[in-house]
Formats: sequence, structure tokens, C-alpha cells
Amino acid sequence: MCRIAGIVSKRSSLQETREKVIKMCHALEHGGPDDEGIYSDENSGLVFGHRRLSIIDLSKNGHQPMSDVQNKVWITFNGEIYNYLDLKEKLVSLGARFNSNTDTEVIIQAYLHWGMSSFSKLRGIFAFGLYDTEKKRTYLVRDSSGVKPLYYHIEDTELSFASEVRALKKAGIATEADKSWQVRFLAYGHIPEPYTTQKDVFSLPKGEFLCWDHKKDTFEIHSYHVANSPAKIYDVQEARELIRTGLTRAVERQLVADAPIGVFLSGGTDSSIITLLANQHQLAQLKTISIFFNEKAYDERMYQNLVLEEIKGEKYAHLVRQEDFEEFLPQIIGDMDMPTTDGINTWFISRFAHQDGLKAVLSGVGADELFGGYPSFSRIKFLKKLRQFPPVSFSAARLFSSDKYRKISFLTYNHPIADYLLLRGHYSPTDIADILNMDLGEVEDILFNNKSITKIKNYNEEDAAWLELNLYMQNQLLRDTDVMGMSHGLEVRVPFLDEDFKAIAERISIDIRFDENQPKKLLIDSFNNLLPRAVWDRSKMGFTFPLQQWMREHHEINNENSYHGKRARKIVKDFKKNTMHWSKVFALYQIQRYV
Amino acid sequence: MTRTMAHSLNIISKQQQWDFKLWSLYDSRYDLMSEYLAKENFVGFGRSKMKLALDTISKGRKADILILSHINLALIGVIVKILNPKCKIWLVAHGIEVWRPLSFLKTSFLKKFCNQIICVSNFTKHQMIKWHNVDSSKCVVLNNVIDPFIIHPEEFEKPEYLLNRYSLTAENQVIFTLTRLASSEQYKGYELVIKAISHLKEKFSGLKYILAGQYDATEETRIKDLISSYNVKNEVILTGFLSERELADYFLLADLFVLPSKKEGFGIVFIEALSCGLPVICGNADGSVDAIRNGELGTAINVNDQDELEKTISSYLRSPLTVKTRHKLQQQCLQYFNENDYQQNLLRLIKDEPAA
Repeated sequence: MCRIAGIVSKRSSLQETREKVIKMCHALEHGGPDDEGIYSDENSGLVFGHRRLSIIDLSKNGHQPMSDVQNKVWITFNGEIYNYLDLKEKLVSLGARFNSNTDTEVIIQAYLHWGMSSFSKLRGIFAFGLYDTEKKRTYLVRDSSGVKPLYYHIEDTELSFASEVRALKKAGIATEADKSWQVRFLAYGHIPEPYTTQKDVFSLPKGEFLCWDHKKDTFEIHSYHVANSPAKIYDVQEARELIRTGLTRAVERQLVADAPIGVFLSGGTDSSIITLLANQHQLAQLKTISIFFNEKAYDERMYQNLVLEEIKGEKYAHLVRQEDFEEFLPQIIGDMDMPTTDGINTWFISRFAHQDGLKAVLSGVGADELFGGYPSFSRIKFLKKLRQFPPVSFSAARLFSSDKYRKISFLTYNHPIADYLLLRGHYSPTDIADILNMDLGEVEDILFNNKSITKIKNYNEEDAAWLELNLYMQNQLLRDTDVMGMSHGLEVRVPFLDEDFKAIAERISIDIRFDENQPKKLLIDSFNNLLPRAVWDRSKMGFTFPLQQWMREHHEINNENSYHGKRARKIVKDFKKNTMHWSKVFALYQIQRYV
Repeated sequence: MTRTMAHSLNIISKQQQWDFKLWSLYDSRYDLMSEYLAKENFVGFGRSKMKLALDTISKGRKADILILSHINLALIGVIVKILNPKCKIWLVAHGIEVWRPLSFLKTSFLKKFCNQIICVSNFTKHQMIKWHNVDSSKCVVLNNVIDPFIIHPEEFEKPEYLLNRYSLTAENQVIFTLTRLASSEQYKGYELVIKAISHLKEKFSGLKYILAGQYDATEETRIKDLISSYNVKNEVILTGFLSERELADYFLLADLFVLPSKKEGFGIVFIEALSCGLPVICGNADGSVDAIRNGELGTAINVNDQDELEKTISSYLRSPLTVKTRHKLQQQCLQYFNENDYQQNLLRLIKDEPAA
């Protein structure tokens, strides 16, 4: 729930800082329609802002920024703490007193009792700013799965943060564009963390916190994880049992809400499992949201209905037509916050969920990454073989005329990002240099100057899972899901990424966690009593929008004359011949405004 | 250490208006850390030995001094010397890579083609003379120094976030080892420390041993077996790889650094620990003794004597250093191993001036 913003500054007057934070809050209003709050502290030059979307404790008690009774600690918080009732019970036994039924207050009391070690006790999706008035420190903290966003900007002695980049732009804090974003966008199809479209605006890494020292005006960023190396699971029966109990528990605790909550049902394995599990737990009746199309090849109603027959509750099915896509495209692009080639599907489904009166929904994101649902899990082994050749052997690949083969030129770069981009990337460095009229060396420097990513060693399924979770899902799926959901005041919850469940999945030995012949076999086997066979055992493609057709017939996207440069126009022509994927053209379409 | 040397050479060259280039075989140009060296001074060859050899030969003709950072580059030195006899060839001798018999090519390089050998410690110098019969006047000892971009703490409190990470309190006494844990390098001596912990844990309650560094699968199994056989599961913490930005904080978390290794060329990790005010115990039969200035900054022990190791650790743990003494230790270390003096020494060597 909610959107947050804040500034710590000794350069500006408190009045100026307040005005900036108010501007940021206005820019974030869509994600927090129910309430607004501002807190400021003259001595520290600190202002916190908050836009509220009420889901837990809908009363005025949930107003933020919030503090404890003695005003020692102030917080502006976005997200949900699923284990807040457990923590509350522990804290009460330690003598803590509570004034509300909110999870926000639990974070405050946990911090007062356990200090910064409280961060690792939280289970949920969250990003918050917390100001300790006694220690004169401000913490920015982000959840360990990176579901909730948090962007920060530091200039001299001033720290600013917000849930969306647009807030920092609108308040005049970070107005200068990062010159490299278009290169990254064309390579990835999104802008990868920690980068953004704005210069010196970064995404806080998941599972980490930034600590700002008000006395010295310095900061540090560290992980708050508690180190442990639990034993691996080698027994398949044990693994299935742990998956069943772990996911059941995750779904159960993510259904905590005082506002209406539902499930996205696509008809695929992952959302079907979540829907069926939620159906077992929901005291009130479950609401399901699904989408269908007039285009026959994309119609998943048959599979959706198989699951819907099994459950009680209200079932909302919505038709999305080509006209809807054309009508709403400008609005979708406006809601993106940063350019991306995904998120259109989430935008529509969030819109319907909102119309159907929901404030939060569960989604199946994360299962493909944890259990091997993507083609990259088998392709990575092929990559291993290719990596045994000297990188220089692939340099001629950039001369291929076919776009698909030109991507092989990524093998000339001995860098984990090159591995990822070969599996998941959009344009090759040569293409990007052509499109943006840049020097190839410059493009390479931008793409491969990131040293913080560890090298892939084994090129096995575990490495593929690492790439998928930490790059594709993190940078594309989760960011897009959050921002598109929030543009309709809808929170999207992701039970597969529950900290404890994810830890279970990662403990399972690689030999039983992945199956060469059947994607997500272990997950499916774990729920074989629950899941209708036809849902997973089918030859047909999964749920996807008919975007290839819709974009090819879109009068602006398909008009090559509105694109700059020869290379771009050639790409659009290829797209019209249907030899180019829509996501690549959609990327080009979005950068036209800037080229 | 090569990057500190490159940083120093770059600064000297700028002052003296010399031309300086760092060529790296194993790095690609994306590996350059720009704070050490500007882009125009760096060429990364990304493992392309052929290209490095060809480029060195074509450009080596113009160089006045060629510094080879590893004996494995001897062939390049030989060729450049033949093509350009006026070019002075230096070699940096680190540790075990030269304390052993070398191929005919490498020994000929040392004797006939190389003008000067920079030894990182007195021990390495003696080894060069002992193994390869190198003229001692050719060997100059130039100790490694503290990386100029490492931040030296001013306060010596244990970092709260690390206490949280390992569920420790400030009361836990922490012994710390940082090294590569490789099954192929069985001389680092951490198994002695693991054994020592099994005896010391009774005397010092709350004692923890943090054994840090990247390990391979074979070594992981071996260490974990050792830990269970000595029954120190609750005391020993294996961290795996540590990120550079947290390194100084680990030195602050610890009360004592112990690495009873047998084969350190110099042991840069010792001076890094000392620069954070952390006392160190090292072995007495390798280059480590230079890093602790023959006992002035730390204690060297006989690494074959388990008893001596345990006694030495005990004596440190019984009288923990005060903030004042930690600060003093840090200052002493920085006084001996700072980049400024290193630059002066390098400049003197390049200009071939006698020591002051």
C-alpha cells in the first residue's frame, strides 16, 4: 500500500524542503488515494511525506508519517508486513504498548526494541524511511525480495527519496537525465537496477538499508540479512512437503487485509495454484480477476474455468479488445514512471481489479524463476558450451543480417551481463550504436562497466535462476507490476517470493529442483492433488496479450516515417513483415521522443 | 597491490611528465577501476596473450622502463630487451611464484635480461638469491603498502550491522581470518586456528571465529568436517566472499586477526588489518614478518607449534586493546606503509638515486 517520499537537507530552509516533499506527494497521489501526511523536523532539516492506500486498519489510526508515543521514532512506510501479528505478540510480551492495529506501528516498536536487527525480522513487501530522533539517523529500508521500490538521490549534504522516479523529477530534485539510460533500455527492454532515467537517482538494492548520519551528513548502505547456511534438501518427498506447507503458509499470511483482496487468475500453473490455495483459506469469499480476448489463439478461458469451477466466490472475467489497447496506450506509457516493454497486461488487470472494488491481489510471479519455468534454464547449458570457445571467436556474429543471430555477438564480452543479455536481451551493442548513432565502444562501456555482479561459474539451472530472479524478475516484472498496480491504487502481493518460501526453494538440491524435460515439475508434483491436470499438461502457449498483432496494426507504432534514423525504420519494416518481436519495436517507439 | 603500484606510477609520471601505461592480461577494459587510473592509461587484454605479446613487442621498443608484475611474463621481457636493449626491465617478485625452481627461460630472464627485481619483502629477496642465485644488488626490497582508497576508521566501535548479521553482541570476542580458502593451497594455517578454538572456547566464553574468504566446494566440505570433528559449530562462522566495501568493518568487528600461513610473500592483509587498528598474529617463516615490522606491529609465531599459537591468542584475548592502543597501532602502520613513501621510493628507483 501507499507511496512515500522524503528529504533530509541542511542546504535548504525547512519551508523549501516541505514544499518539495508536498510536490513529490502530489506526483504520487495515484498510489495513495486515501490520505496524505507530512512530518517535518526543524533541527535535522528532515521532511517525510506519505500518500496512503488503506488496507490494514482503515481508521485514522493508520495516518502516516507515524511515531511512537514519545516521538522517538518517525516512519513513512509503503507495503505490508505479513507477520506483524506474530511480531506484535512478541513485542507485547517485552512490554511494548500499541495504539493502533496497524503493521506500521509494529515496525516502530520492533525498531525501538531491537534496533536495526529488527529489519531482518520483518516478513513482507516493504520500503520505508525511519528517522531515529535520538541517534540522529535516518534509515531507508527495502524488502529482501525487492517487491516495493525505493529510489534515492544524494547530492552533497542532501538525501531525497521516493517510491517513484517521477516524484524526484517533479519536485525539481533530479531533473537531469542519465545519459546512458537509452542504451540500457534498448539492451534490456527496461532500465535495470540500480540505474534509472535520471542522473544520480538509484534504486536501493533489495534486502539492504541506507543509513544517513545527520551529525556527519554521511551515509552507508549495507545488507540487513542474518547470515546462515541451512542444510540442503536432497529428498524429493521432503522437498514436496516443504513446498506444500511453505506456500500454503505464505498464501495464508498474505491474505491478511481489512480491505477487499482477490487473486489474478491467468489460467496458468502458478496463478492457479495460488488461487486454489487462497480458496482454502479465505474466510470471506475469494474474488478472482481474469482477462480474455476476442483473438481465439489467445483465449485462456477454458483453463481459467477449470480452476474457477473448483472455487467459491465472485469471479470477474474481463474482455480486453484491440480498441481498448489503442485507447489506453498513451495512459499506460504515462503511468510507467520509467520506460519498459512489459507491464501492459498488469496495467489492464489492475484497472479491472480496481473497478471490481479490490485494493490488493495475489499474483503468481516468482514461480518460473524459482522452479525453472523459462527456456533460459535449458539454454544456459548451451551457453556453457559456447563459453568454452575464446570470446573473440564470436566477433564476426555482429555481421549477421538476422537479428536473432546478431545477439551471439554478446559472447565476445566476458561478462555476466553479456550472458544475461544473450538469454534475455533485446538489441545487440552494434544495433544500439546504430540506432542511437553512438560509438560502439561507448555502448559497451555503458553496458559492461557494472562490477558488482558476480560472475557465473557453473552455467547450470541455479545460475539461470539467479539471473532470472535478480535481473529479469527484479528489474522488469516486479518493478512493472508495482508501478502499474499502484497507478490504479492496487497492491499486488507475491506469495512465491515470501522470504521463508523462497529460502525453502533455494535450499532444494539442484538435481530435484529442476527437471530437464518438464518445466516446474517439482512445483506441479507438489500440488498434483490440487491442480487440474489440463492446466499444466498442455501444448498451447500460456497467458499472453495479442500484442504482436495489436502493435502491428497500431497506426503510430507501425508508421516507420515517425521513427528517426535508417536503422530504426528498417526495424519497423521488419516488424510489419512479422520478422521482429513487438517488444523490440515497442522499445524503439518509446525512445523516439528522446532521440 | 598492482593497482596501488599503478596508481603510484601514474602520479609520479604525471609529476615528471612521463608517459605511463598499464597493460593487463587478465582484465578487460571493463575491469578498470577509474579511481586508480584514467582510461587512457589502461589497456585490458582480457586473456588474449597473443595480442598482449604483440602489442608489448611493438610498443615496448619505445619504452624506457618495462615493469613486469609477474614472472610468467618473462618471455615478453626477453623479447623487448632484445629489440630494445636500452629499455630497463623490472620484475615484481611477490611470493611463492618465485620461491621454487623455474624454467630455463625464466631463470635466464632473471639473470641476463632483467635489470632490477622489486621484492615485496626481505624474505622474498632471500628466496630469489637462494633459489635462483640472482645477484643480490639486483634485488630491491619494496614492501607493499596500504591501498590509497581504503578508508581508515576513526572510531573503533564494532559495526552494528555486522553484529546483527552474525547474531553477535559487542561482548563476543572475535578472532578473524581472511584468506582464499582453496583446496589447492594448503598452507594458510586456518585449520590450526579451528583446532585452537576448540581448546580456547572453554576459557573464553562467547568466543567466535570468523573465517572469511571465497572457498571451493572441496575445501568447503573439508572445513565443515573439521568444524564438526572439533565440535566448534557454534563458534566458527564461515562467511564466504567478502565485498571490498565491507572489509574495513570486518576488521573493526574483530578483536584479533590470525593467519598462521607458511607462504606469504608479504601478506598485505596484515597491514590492512593493522590500518584498522586490529592486532595481528602471523607466521614467522615467510614474508609476513616484514608486514609486522619484525614484531613491532604484531606477533609472529612458529606455525608448527599449536601450543604457541594458542598461548599467543590467549594473551591477546586476556588483555584486549583499548581504543587508544588501537588508534596507535593504526597510526604506526600508516606511518610505515603509506603510499606517499612508496611513491618516493619508486621515484628514487626509477631515477636510480641512492636511498636517503
